[in-house]
Order: sequence, then structure tokens, then C-alpha cells
Amino acid sequence: MSLAGKLLTGIFILCFPLSVFGWDWQTRVTVIVKDQPIEAVCALLEKEYGIHFSYSRELVSLSRKVTLTAHNQRLKKLLEDLFAPDDIRFTRVGDQLVLSHARRNTHTISGYIKDAVSGETLIGATVYAPGLKQGTTTNQYGFFSLTTVRDSNSLVISYIGYRPYLQPVSLKGDQLLNINLQPLGSLREVVISGKEKTKLQEQTQMSKITLSSTELQAMPQLLGEVDVMRTLQSLPGVSGGMDGAGGLYVRGGSPDQNLVLMDGTPVFNFSHFFGVYSLLNANVVKTTDLYKGAFPARFGGRLSSVVDIAMKEGDMKAYHGDVSIGLIAAKFNIEGPIIKDKTSFIVSARRSYPDLLLNAALKSDNTLGTGGDFKAFFYDINAKVNHIFSPKDRLFLSFYKGEDNLLVKQTTIDSTGAGNPAGFNLQSTKFQMGWGNTIAALRWNHIYGPRLFSNITLNYSQYSFFTQYEHRYQLPGTGELSNVYGKYSSRMENSGGRIDFDYRPNPQHAVRFGAITTMHYFKPGNSSFQDKGSPVKPLDTLPSSMRITGAELSMYAEDDWQLGSNLFTNIGVHASAFLVEGRFYYSLQPRLGLRYVLPRNWAVKASYTHMNQYIHLLSSNGTTLPTDIWVPSTQRVAPMFSKQVAAGVAKTSANGKYEFTLEGYYKSMHNMIENKENNTILTPLPARWDENVAVGKGWSYGSEVMLQKKKGSTTGWIGYTLSWSTRRFPGINNDKIYPYKYDQRHELELVLMQRLGKHWELSASWHYNSGTPITLPVSSYAGIDNPSPWDPSVGHTSIDRYENWNNYRSADVHRLDIGITHTKQKKRWSRSWNVSIFNVYNRKNPFVYTINDDPDTHKRYLIQATILPILPSVTYAIKF
Amino acid sequence: MNMKYFFVGAIGLVTLLTSCSKQVEIQLPYEGDKIVVNTLIQPDSVVYVRVTRSVPSDVFDDSGYKDIPGATVTLTEDGLPVAPMQVQEIKGLFWYVSQKKAVRGKQYAVAVAAPGLQSVTATDTLPFPPVIKNAAAQRNTNRVQFTLKDCPGTGDYYRIRIYVSDTSGEYGGFRPFRLDPAFNNNLVDFFTKSNYNSLVMTDERFDGKEVNFVLQTADPINSYSRVTVEVSTLTYNTWKYFSTVIPQKGDGGNIIIGSPVRVFTNVQNGYGIVGGINTRKLVFKVE
Repeated sequence: MSLAGKLLTGIFILCFPLSVFGWDWQTRVTVIVKDQPIEAVCALLEKEYGIHFSYSRELVSLSRKVTLTAHNQRLKKLLEDLFAPDDIRFTRVGDQLVLSHARRNTHTISGYIKDAVSGETLIGATVYAPGLKQGTTTNQYGFFSLTTVRDSNSLVISYIGYRPYLQPVSLKGDQLLNINLQPLGSLREVVISGKEKTKLQEQTQMSKITLSSTELQAMPQLLGEVDVMRTLQSLPGVSGGMDGAGGLYVRGGSPDQNLVLMDGTPVFNFSHFFGVYSLLNANVVKTTDLYKGAFPARFGGRLSSVVDIAMKEGDMKAYHGDVSIGLIAAKFNIEGPIIKDKTSFIVSARRSYPDLLLNAALKSDNTLGTGGDFKAFFYDINAKVNHIFSPKDRLFLSFYKGEDNLLVKQTTIDSTGAGNPAGFNLQSTKFQMGWGNTIAALRWNHIYGPRLFSNITLNYSQYSFFTQYEHRYQLPGTGELSNVYGKYSSRMENSGGRIDFDYRPNPQHAVRFGAITTMHYFKPGNSSFQDKGSPVKPLDTLPSSMRITGAELSMYAEDDWQLGSNLFTNIGVHASAFLVEGRFYYSLQPRLGLRYVLPRNWAVKASYTHMNQYIHLLSSNGTTLPTDIWVPSTQRVAPMFSKQVAAGVAKTSANGKYEFTLEGYYKSMHNMIENKENNTILTPLPARWDENVAVGKGWSYGSEVMLQKKKGSTTGWIGYTLSWSTRRFPGINNDKIYPYKYDQRHELELVLMQRLGKHWELSASWHYNSGTPITLPVSSYAGIDNPSPWDPSVGHTSIDRYENWNNYRSADVHRLDIGITHTKQKKRWSRSWNVSIFNVYNRKNPFVYTINDDPDTHKRYLIQATILPILPSVTYAIKF
Repeated sequence: MNMKYFFVGAIGLVTLLTSCSKQVEIQLPYEGDKIVVNTLIQPDSVVYVRVTRSVPSDVFDDSGYKDIPGATVTLTEDGLPVAPMQVQEIKGLFWYVSQKKAVRGKQYAVAVAAPGLQSVTATDTLPFPPVIKNAAAQRNTNRVQFTLKDCPGTGDYYRIRIYVSDTSGEYGGFRPFRLDPAFNNNLVDFFTKSNYNSLVMTDERFDGKEVNFVLQTADPINSYSRVTVEVSTLTYNTWKYFSTVIPQKGDGGNIIIGSPVRVFTNVQNGYGIVGGINTRKLVFKVE
């Protein structure tokens, strides 16, 4: 168009009265729509009032559904209300309304949420802008970042057990805030007034359960010990070994498939006392997150679960601590500031003590002979220091050491053959065994900017087992002397670093990315043996131990992304590579989570995860023991991997009192190992372990339902699991599929915590699971020893015929545990008594079965042994 | 690794005070009666075959199991029938005994048919004899030594046993033993203190070598003057059989832990073993 043409058109438009178009800003309009997209409202306005809309679909989205009831409303007001939530600007040009996206500056509010009294950061606290209906939660380090395109003048910060806090914010510019929440003071109040945490329908994450320290502490105790592992076992989808001892079995996976992280550092053996207790003093645990599936991309390296334990950091304001003694262990915990509001520490220690009493008794009876000694105990020590360098920098240094020890030192003089000098002998033995973890970590939290947070971790984790034996045997009558000493040890070490970034560009995205590098050191099966004075030449001199170093590198990225008004996704990928003995393995592990919010705030969730594991646990048949050793993948045994799909619904009630989840899952596991169906007396060389295992697959599927009451004087949960778990290994069970040893069809958990008045709290849990598979013989028959019946013989050999593995189910397991705590607040300290009864109605649950022969009746019977009958306990604790 | 028994024991000890056990009445599954054939065929010896019937696993039989009356037992050598076997009662049990001695280099098959039961067959060959020498033991000590020369590259299987007798040759019983821990260079053997009536092994760790074996008996050898070291070479079938029987029987009180040990059988449609064995004995006086 020429310049003259443009001028003429402009004059024509300007001179044309607006009323000619039939509408102006004051025009009264009536619009009634229900659950229609904005586009439909525009079409209605166009049809009824001749208002034409002009916009680019690429720039302006009118897809949001709205429900409008406007009678005779001014047009401008209606349009403002309609477009404001989507930041759509409207401008009149001629008879058209031109729609464009408002270009308004975003601003970011970020910072830490802390406990106002102790300065402890709060994980998972909610930060919410009510005016904008937008919010976020704090991450593992208590950091949050909320970027918004709209102005907000206040934020509501809430966290369970703390008074909600209204934080005014400036309308302009980014802000870094440190927000302190006031705790509600006592457990009683917490339960009543606990403000909601993020509702289930607001999280895309599924298959995750968070245990707070409050829930942990309120559980009934076993011999006076609150325990993380036992509490986890009371959640749907998680089972323990026989009668709860022996580890965690999550969704049909085995214990070696659990990634247990203490402050981000992996732990190899998570138990004391053969799996009865966790390696951790529950008093220093802040929160425990259990992921059974839908693993976020930041986790990797194990197939079946992630147990992410965050430890307390230490009070920044004042000194306090607690001391307690139960039937098994005594412990203390002390924390406080080194420099107020800058540096704090926490130290805790625990030791079991019954062996001290037993040793004294043995010594007084001289049962162990001269110089005899007996020790059987576990201990653990936790220490953590953290320092705030600046509002943007914080450093944590943490250390853990825990061990189980057994020592028996005995001298015996056998003079039974006094008449026969050759039978008189002197023996002294010293047997010692120990195993434990040592963990250290250095972490640095840094805020690069309001939207970017990072954590850098350097960590070291070691699991070692050792046993040594000294034996001196003397037959003075013949001069026979044997004096041997041997030591066997295994060690597994990890050292590494990781860097994690948390980036919140806008409310639609929460991005995490990072890299992890781990050096694995495997030193299993080292043995040294000395037989002083023996002329015996060893059978061979092949190295009996392995020294292997492996390097693992992982990178990940994930985005919690709002795709639409009701549709959300968590999409991520975890890529890892493992280099060991010149072999290179890699894997690309997609992770996907979806959430769709239905009317009435029900969320439908689904996930797909792929996990990889480069290390294997070699265990003795059927049992998990401290002697189990970790080994890397080999040419024959490739890395394990699993694929899991899960789907379900979840909802937290509007008042935050109830949480409901229903999930179904299907998981396949590949390249798992199982000891072959043969045994030889000569111990196979550790370096050739892979020749003694079969490599196979496993499948597990099932559903879990959990209803939890989170607030009020009565809290607790009901969980039910229906599951199947099977395995198939070439050469085992005639290559046929068989039930996994912890394939428990039904599992039911009822957990109740009840506050009674000001001082009393009652807790009870009832557990039921259907029988565990065991293998029983299908027939018996005669064996043979010699080619000729005339040869010397050891007697008749009877052989049991086993057909299918796990062909029989042990008795159902059920048990009621209760605990009652009385707490009294003194002026400067409080004291509490806890009385717990484990297995209240003394149910004789099976721990192990044996087959016994009865020569009189010529019958054989199955004998069921129980190890945990009714066990009452008392714990006394002081807090200051 | 046999340490599991140690730990099971340790757990048992700790919980002994509080533990209890009860007898459970259960219906053990049963596969139905099957023919059981047992024979270990020694070259230059007649063949002894025992034929019995399997029983449900809740039956305890310490008398050697019932024979099957009316069973037809056929022995073939390289596919040709050997003269009919004769039934003999030896030490209270019935055996089918061949008229002809077995010969190394031949293949032997045993077929058994019995009314009401599925017929069974099994086959094996006979191994070379072991090359052993220089057996010795000192009175009142607990070490017994001998030398074994292994054939290189053949993948040999062995069984070793020790028994004692007095000067008149009267059998004094098997002596439980183990490999001297220093010899086996294995501390775990020492811990577990397991002694066996027989040691079954492959030549994996001494293939083609002449090895001086050192065995440690559980008790000093003092009451008997003669010691017999019995070394047998085994066929794969026989080795597989022994190497599964021993761990099954050694499970200490029939504890049901995890995976059971399934005893090998080469008898088609039945149970038992038809296996080759070649035994040599070194009998010597205790010095």
C-alpha cells in the first residue's frame, strides 16, 4: 500500500465512530459457559456481540477451560477476568480485539526454610503464593525457588509440625529469603495442628513414602529400639526376611537391589545383628524417603528401591541432647552450635550392652578358662558438622562408623583321658569376627542465583568383614602341637563425587541435572593362613583373593513439567557407564512419570523406569549374611537391569487429614544371579565366582493400597499388598519358573498412634503376611556308598528327592506390637518411659524349619522354630 | 562357603533363651512310588545292583528301604545282555549280582521293570584307576599323607576315604577328616571344623600334578594299627552323585534354608545312580 493509501485508511478509521462497530468497553454482555475453553467464550462474544478476536495460535493459547456466569457485565471487566490468569493482553484495533501475550517481568523468590528454634533446614516444606495459586516445595537441603510471571505480595510457608508463616515479598526483583518456621512445640500439638505438606495429587512422584522422625519415634519398639528398617517393613510393598530379620525386600526385589543412602552416600550393609536392627540410631534421622518405583533420574545403581535417609544437622541456636537406655542398647545424642547461627554439630553414639553382663558371668564362673573373654556387641557413631559461610554457601561434613563384633577367647584342658596320657590335651582358641560400615561425606550447598541451586558431594563408603582365628592344640603325651592363625577379610569401598543442580526456570518446570562419579574397590575373600611349624605345602599358590577397581560415571537430567492445566510429567534420563578390568558397560535409563488431575482432586499417576546395577552380591544359599561379598559384573555375568511400570491413583483430602494411594506395578529383572545347584567341599576360588552362579531373570507384580491418617490425636495407616514374585535361572529347578523365597501373596499392616491426654502416647502395629515359600522333599529313597556290599560302609544312606523349588508355604505370620510412652516435661528437661511389648499374643511365627526323624514311629516331622516370642521391653530416656 | 552354618549357629545361640519350636503336622507332597536303582560298577569285580522303591518323605526308613519283589533287572555291556543276574541276600539286603566281572572300556546299562511301576534305565562307563602311593601316618597324630598322581587334561574326579582296622583286619570304622587347612590354604575350612567321611573333588586345582595330600583326622589315630586310605576315581555321573549327596546329608539336622541340594540321578524315570568307580586302597601300618 502506498503512503497515501495508508493515510486515507487511517483517516477513515479514526473518523468512523466506534459505535458503528456495535460495541465498546462499557458494553454490557451476558456469558454463561460451563467447562469450556476460552476460545469458546471468544466465539460466543463474536456471535452475540460482533466482537472479532485476532491472535496467533502459536503465541496465545486459549485452550484453558473455564466456567463463567456473567450477567450484564461490563465487557472490559469480563475480558480482564477472562484473560488475566493466562497473562493475555487485549488491545482494540478497529472492530477487532487483538490478543497478545503480556510481556511482564518475571521474578524469583528463593531461599531456605528452617526450624526457627534449631536452625535445622526443613525438607519438603511447602511454599505457596495463594493469590497466584502457585507453589513449590523445598528440596533435600531445604532450598526452594519460586519463579513467577505475576506479582505476588505474600507467600504462605507451611510444614507439618510448624506454625504456618505468611512471608511478605517485594513486588519487584528477585529475592533470597531465609524463612524460619516456629515449631508447634510438642508432639501432641504437632498431631493436632500439623499443616499440610504437599498433597499427593500435587506430586507427579508416585511409589514413594516419606517417614518423618515423628512417625518413626512413635512406632512400637523391639527390645527398646526404634528402628528405621523395621518401620519401613511395615509399609505396603516392603517385606522383611523370616520374622522380619534379614533385610528389605521391596516389590519382589532382593536386599542387594536396595540403594540405601545416608545423606546421599550409599551404604552396603544396612543392618546390625544379622539384620534385626538398622545400622542407624533412629534419633538422628530427620526424614526417610522410600522409593519403590517411579525412580527419579537422579537415582541409579540399584534395581528395586531407594531409601534416602536425611540425617539431622545439629541445632544452630542452643545445646541439647538426649540419653536413653533400653534392654539391648544405650545411646546418647548431643547437638548444638559451635558458632551460633553459623556452625553446628551433632554427635550420637549407641552400643548394645548385654555382652558386658554375660562376660562378667562367664568370667566369674571361669567358663572360658584362664584369660577367657567374650564380647558380642554392635555400636555406631554419627557425627556431623555444618557451617554457613554465607546466605548462599553452606558446608556439611558427616561421618558414620558402625560395627558388629564377636570375640570368644577360651582355654580348655581336656583331661578326660587322665589314665591315657595320649588323650590329655591343652587347647586355646581365640575367635574374632566383625563387620561394619564407615561412611564419610563432605557436601557443599551453593546458590548460584535465585533459580539455580547446587550441591556438590564428596563421599566415601566402606563395608568390611573380617574374622580371625587362633588355635593352639597340644598333646603333651606325644609332643603333637598345632598352632595355627588365620585371617579372612572382605572389603568393599566406594569413593566418589557428585554434583547436583536444581534449576527452577518458571513454575511449569523444575529441572534437576547432575553427574555422579564413583570408584568401586572390591577386595573380597582375602585370606592369610599360618600353620606354625607345619611342613605341609599348600595345594596351590593361586591367588585366593581378588583386587578389582571399577569406575562408574553417571549423568542425569529430569524435569518436573506442567504440560497442561491438569497434566504433569516428570521426564528424565539416567545415563551411566562402568569400566572394570578393561570391559566397558553402559546404559541409558529412561524415567517417565505422568500425572493427570481428575475432578474432585484425584490424581491418576503412571510411571516407567529402567534401572541398572553393575555390582552383584554373592550370598550363601538363601540367607543374607555379613560374609556376603560384592563383586562387579564380569564377562559371564552382565550388569543387572530392571524395567518397572506402575500406575495408580492418589489423593490427599482437602483438610490434609487423609492420604490414599492405590498402585499396581509390574517389574522385570534381568541378569540376576543365584548359586548353582551344586556344592563342592573344596572352596571355589573367589576370582572364579561367576562359574558358580546361574544368571537369570525375575518378575514381580502386584498392587498396594494405603490409607493414612496424618493429623489428629489418632494417626496411622492401613496398608495392604497383593503380590507375586518369581524367578527363573538356567540349570535351577529344571529351568522352570519358581516362586521367589519371599513371595508373600498377602500382606496387611495396621499402624495406630494414639495420643492420650498430655503425657501419654500409645502405639500399636499389627502385621500379617501369608506364608513364605520353602522347599520340601517330594519323596525319599535309598542311596549307595560302595561298589560292593561287602565293603566297609557308613550305614544306610537315605536321600531326599526335591522336585520344584519353593513347593510349600510356611505358616502365615502375624504379630501385634504395642508401645506406650509417658513423657513428663520438667523445667529444663523432659523424661520419658516407654514400655513396649513385641508380639503381644505370643504368636509362634516361623523363623526356620527342620525335618526331624523319629526312629520309633518311623516318621519324619516338620519342626518349626520361632525366635521372637513375646518380648516386653522398657526404655528410659532423658531429653534436655 | 560353609560359613552360613556358623552364622545360623550364632543366630541360634543368641536366640536360644527365647526361642521355641513346635512340631508341625503337614501333608508333605509325594511324587508317587518310583523304582530306585543303585549300583557303583567297579572294574574287575562283579556288579551289585540294589533295586528299591521310593517312599513319601515323611517316612523314616533306617533299614535300607524295601526291595521290589518280582523286579526284572537286566545288565547290558556295550548293548549286549550279560548273563542273568542272581539275587543274593547280603547283610540283610537283597542285591542283584552279575555272573561276570565288569571290564574297563565297556559301557554298562541297567534296566529295571517291575509290576505297577514305570520301567527305568541308566548307563555309565568305568574310569581309569587312581595312581596313588606313599601313604603314611604316625601314631597319636592326626595327619595322614599320601601321594596322588593326576592325569593331565582329562578332567578327573576323585573320592577319598580313610578307615582303620586292627591287626586281624577287623574293620574299625571310617575316620572323619578334612584337608589340612594349611594344605587347602583355606581358613574357612578351619573355622567350620567340618570333617567328612569322604572327600569328593575334581582335579581342577591340581590337574596333571603329583600332589602330596595331607589329611587331618578329627581324632588322633591311636587305637588301631592299620589305616586304609581309599582313593577312587569316579565317572562324571558318580562324581555328580556323590558331590550332591554329601552336601544334602551334611546340612546339619535337616535345616531347611533357602535352596535345597538336589541329588543327581542318571536313572531315567526313576531315582538312584548307575555309576562307574575305580577304587584303590593303600593299607599301611601306623608308625
